[in-house]
Amino acid sequence: MATEPVLRVHNLSVNFRTPRGPLQALRDVDLTIPDRRVSGVVGESGCGKSTLISAIIRLMSDNADIVGGSVHFQGRDLLKLTRKQMRAILGDRISMVFQDPMTSLSPVLTIGRHMTDIQYRDRIGVGEKRKRAVDMLASVGIPDPESRLGQYPHHFSGGMRQRITIAMALLASPNLLIADEPTTALDATLEVQIIHLLKELQERIGCAILFVSHHLNVIAELCDDVTVMYAGVVVEKGTVRDIFHRPAHPYTRALLKCDPAVIQEKTELLPTIPGEIPDLVDLPQGCIFASRCPEAGDICLEGPPPLVEIAPGHVAACVRLTEGGTA
Amino acid sequence: MTDPLLAVEDLRVRFRIKTPLRALLDRDPDPFIDAVLNVGLTLEKGQAYGLVGESGSGKTTLARALIGLNPAHSGSIRFEGQELIGRKDRQFKTIRRNIAMMFQDPAGSLSPRLTVRSLITEPFKIHGIENVDLKAETARLLEMVNLGPDIAGWYPHQLSGGQARRVGVARALALNPRLIIADEPTAGLDVSVQGEILNLMGRLKRDLGVSFLIITHNLAVVRHVSDRMAVMYLGRFLEQGPTDDVFAHMRHPYTHALLSAHLNPDPDAERVRVELAGDVPSLIRRPTGCEFHTRCPFARERCREEFPEAAEAGAEHTYLCHFPLAADQP
Repeated sequence: MATEPVLRVHNLSVNFRTPRGPLQALRDVDLTIPDRRVSGVVGESGCGKSTLISAIIRLMSDNADIVGGSVHFQGRDLLKLTRKQMRAILGDRISMVFQDPMTSLSPVLTIGRHMTDIQYRDRIGVGEKRKRAVDMLASVGIPDPESRLGQYPHHFSGGMRQRITIAMALLASPNLLIADEPTTALDATLEVQIIHLLKELQERIGCAILFVSHHLNVIAELCDDVTVMYAGVVVEKGTVRDIFHRPAHPYTRALLKCDPAVIQEKTELLPTIPGEIPDLVDLPQGCIFASRCPEAGDICLEGPPPLVEIAPGHVAACVRLTEGGTA
Repeated sequence: MTDPLLAVEDLRVRFRIKTPLRALLDRDPDPFIDAVLNVGLTLEKGQAYGLVGESGSGKTTLARALIGLNPAHSGSIRFEGQELIGRKDRQFKTIRRNIAMMFQDPAGSLSPRLTVRSLITEPFKIHGIENVDLKAETARLLEMVNLGPDIAGWYPHQLSGGQARRVGVARALALNPRLIIADEPTAGLDVSVQGEILNLMGRLKRDLGVSFLIITHNLAVVRHVSDRMAVMYLGRFLEQGPTDDVFAHMRHPYTHALLSAHLNPDPDAERVRVELAGDVPSLIRRPTGCEFHTRCPFARERCREEFPEAAEAGAEHTYLCHFPLAADQP
């Protein structure tokens, strides 16, 4: 695809000020989201997924500092925009679906109010806004949407609520939809429904999706491209097939092996990744994964490995790959 | 024949949804919902029983009824031959020494003001056991769950998710219980840590002969750690039996749907999926006939009208369905 990517995050670094010194939550993160593609970011707790999203939409906590890099959305650097310019973009060209649908809907407002309020920029009548709300609710699979506009969020089940937040996010027909673990709070049977809904709507509306999750299976089902993060850095990037069929980084491979759902044979001893994420205030010298890596050697402790291209579009950060060795 | 460790028969747990006055005014003769209905299970010593189901299927209510946190309406719960239903709270206390509970939210179930040592030794204080060396006990319990002794002085906010979960296990183990009820032991944990907790539970089962009742919505967890299992829906067991047998010859469409809902981490995997429409129905108005018919892709006329009889699918493997899947299905 030759078109300009929707979002290009370049060398983004974010620090949190802590009493012990700066905590380097993101270090030189690169991420490109092509138009009309679903890009996934996967990683475990503490890998910096949420920090990445909040840096993109500029909703960072007070003790966070962007120490370097840029976030280009449709050619403009979001990090250089004023608050007012940023607000014009959020909810219009970039919208978000959050993890917990109950906390992203106000319990004292009706669904109809939610759905019309979000169209505050559009200069059309209330009747027209309600009609659009009804159409959108119908397209996310809410039965009998007309009569449900007067109901409150607590009248809906968890799966229905998440459908409503998706409907709200898509009402503005954004160019980029950011979804932060939208299925984590749902049961498995509903998770499948929501994933299929997202995919279908993405094709219809033609937006790009940045999908963040710690759930490998969801990523495999939904995404076209995948970025694997660990402790604040990108360790591997590629198409969904690269990552799941030819994982190059030892962390990606370990993560794929650990998922209890992969192991079809009954086993008494399940694989794990022993150890903990390193302290991001006092970073280790070498590769960030070396302390937990089963394949680590002396060479891994010398310095952080660069991202190496293994195949077109498939990169991983591991010194073993440049050695031409076994990894 | 000796008694099994835990035998539950025809258990029913109900909750009042209207005050007596409201019910009278509405002329509602039955102002209750049945959160658990006609449930029966047996758990032998040193075995693990897996309970699977979606949110709202009654898994946690069942577990809470077993330790007396929710009163059971009717039926029988026998723990080592002693009937638990109808006991007063104080009489339950002696039983609770032998049944420990690992709660769902590991960080939330640990008091933020207590150190790990106080948390782990709290059960001794609650049950008035005085002639123990608390310091030695703490070290012993932490070692059992593979945590270093220096963690004893930490507070819960200093622990990672996996560590907090292991402190929960250590606390459950404190009084050498014979049964541990584990409510969603892997929920909210990263995949690389899930294995650690499941392996730990497997080891305790083998080495100490502790029995486990594992509540989860993740079928993969049940497959690896449980000996017997049941699939719950609207408070009933739709299918139950030995885990291997249920996985090899699942008969109920709901069991199959749950299994196939677990997305495969392979973008090219062939998707044979039984997709369920809609949400779990309300307990206030249970569907007629087979209660699963509103979401079942194979539902026919008979399912809407007639409640299915329990059918045998093999040794101790039963299910509730008029039109079960063929026995040789995956």
